[in-house]
Amino acid sequence: MRRNRTLVLAAGALGLIVLIVLVLPVFLPSVSATDPVHRLLPPSAAHLLGTDSYGRDVASRLVSGGRASLGLSALITVCAAATGLVIGLVSGFFRAADAVLMRVMDAWMSFPAIILAMALAISLGASLWTELIALTVIFTPFTARVIRSRVLAVASRAYIGAARVSGMGRWKTLLVHVFPNVLPLALVQVVVLAAAAMLVDGAMSFLGLGIAPPTPTWGNMIAEGRSYLVTAPWLVVVPGVTIMLCVFLLNLVGSALRQAVDPRARTLHELQRLRTRTT
Amino acid sequence: MTRLLLRRLRDLLVILVVVGTMMFFVIRLIPGDPALAILGPTARPADVAALRSAMGLDGSLWEQYLSWAGHVLHGDFGSSITYHQPVLGVVLEHIPPTLTLAVLSSVISFLLSVAVTSWYAVSPRNPLARALDRLSALGMAIPDFWISLVLVLVFSVTLRWLPSSGYHSLFTDPVQALPALVLPLVVLVIGQTALFVLTLRESMLGELPLAYLRTARAKGLSESRVMLRHVLPNALMPLITQLGSNFAMLVGGIVIIESIFVIPGLGHLLMGAVSTRDFPLIQGVTLFVALLFVLVNLLVDLSYAAIDPKVRVS
Repeated sequence: MRRNRTLVLAAGALGLIVLIVLVLPVFLPSVSATDPVHRLLPPSAAHLLGTDSYGRDVASRLVSGGRASLGLSALITVCAAATGLVIGLVSGFFRAADAVLMRVMDAWMSFPAIILAMALAISLGASLWTELIALTVIFTPFTARVIRSRVLAVASRAYIGAARVSGMGRWKTLLVHVFPNVLPLALVQVVVLAAAAMLVDGAMSFLGLGIAPPTPTWGNMIAEGRSYLVTAPWLVVVPGVTIMLCVFLLNLVGSALRQAVDPRARTLHELQRLRTRTT
Repeated sequence: MTRLLLRRLRDLLVILVVVGTMMFFVIRLIPGDPALAILGPTARPADVAALRSAMGLDGSLWEQYLSWAGHVLHGDFGSSITYHQPVLGVVLEHIPPTLTLAVLSSVISFLLSVAVTSWYAVSPRNPLARALDRLSALGMAIPDFWISLVLVLVFSVTLRWLPSSGYHSLFTDPVQALPALVLPLVVLVIGQTALFVLTLRESMLGELPLAYLRTARAKGLSESRVMLRHVLPNALMPLITQLGSNFAMLVGGIVIIESIFVIPGLGHLLMGAVSTRDFPLIQGVTLFVALLFVLVNLLVDLSYAAIDPKVRVS
């Protein structure tokens, strides 16, 4: 029961953040309105989170940056989860494909992610699309591996053998019997991915490899604020805390979800709690 | 065991070939002519052409690839364009800082996470042990580049206790080296310890319902002895895997922290090489990083086989 409460609270808080990011920009001062007179102001009633080096309102930039950061992370998550799911399913179920696909995944994972991102960003221009491609490529093998190990476990079950004996085709078995059993894990993986994507997206925009200023993202706000670390620390602190909060909430949702879909994990936690109470 | 080793060595070769090839073509996506980058925009076209051919940059992409691969097979990684030295030497020079950070942060995080988790397992009702255990979820959420800046703000700028950047070798100059290493190490340790605590806790929980614990308890062992002597050693395996793959990633990926704290390691070298279009250097560093990555993973697999007989059989 306690797990469910955590799940509801964390998911609710995340929903609230998304809602704020979607609705609030309408009511806040303009993102791009510069005001050289009022630059680097500390948080006050007029500017809730202060102003930056161009006199832009940090609160509006934070909310509008949320659209870019959250939106892009969500997009990356969907793409990486979908490709990872397909590769994981095929590779776990067809032994012939497995040997090739997993070698490719291994090589892929040992390829320095940042180089790929930089090469793409420099050659195609740093933008939403290059970051989307780079991060999808980076995250796909991790998802594929998790899904594959689950598929391997499912494929050894008796009902898969029964399906084959009854004359069901391989692809149909994969879709009808394996896929539904892998789906819960895939959903958990989506949340884990979203948390990782937020962190890496922040790092990419911080390095200038993501969406370029003046469009605000949480990462590039930290990068811009870095020069004023001493005089205006809120420029760095505010977006950083925001990223942290979102990732933390996503992690909470992820672990609560996992216990909801995996009865074994649930029993384990019950056991541990029992122990906590009795010892 | 020998068969396992041979199979893994074959995989290693395949991975190196794939990574090397992918890298060769990916970095050629980067626009900009290295020869022009060296000579500057005022260079005569004839000089640029001469340098291009000296650097092996003329001919089709395919010919360039074959000639590069041939040289690599003979142990010749070419010369760095910006350092005017053989790539191998430059790469080897930049390994110690990265390795220092990777080794120290891995060891500290490992010890910390084992300490925190066993404390929590032995006394689950101690509020501090519990708080530390819960904190790991927060530690996972902290962006490393951000916490680096915050730590610099607090400990270097405001309190002036620690330097904000710089690197000295730990072996030749430990007095100067240690203070400069503290902040980058703390940043690396926070994230890793959080991850390790979660991994270890998960795997300890997995051991709890197993029958051998009933035996241990039935013969009268105290609960803390059961935890430390029976559960912990059995639960360490997943942590070792995690440690290994994390270490491998650190070796190739401390890019952001190295650049924030100005540490002349592999990540820093790589960033510089990409921005100066130093193709031979980029290729050398990535091959090296990939090699380290697969070697560490191989070691982890072998230690697995050494510890767990089940792995040897399958």
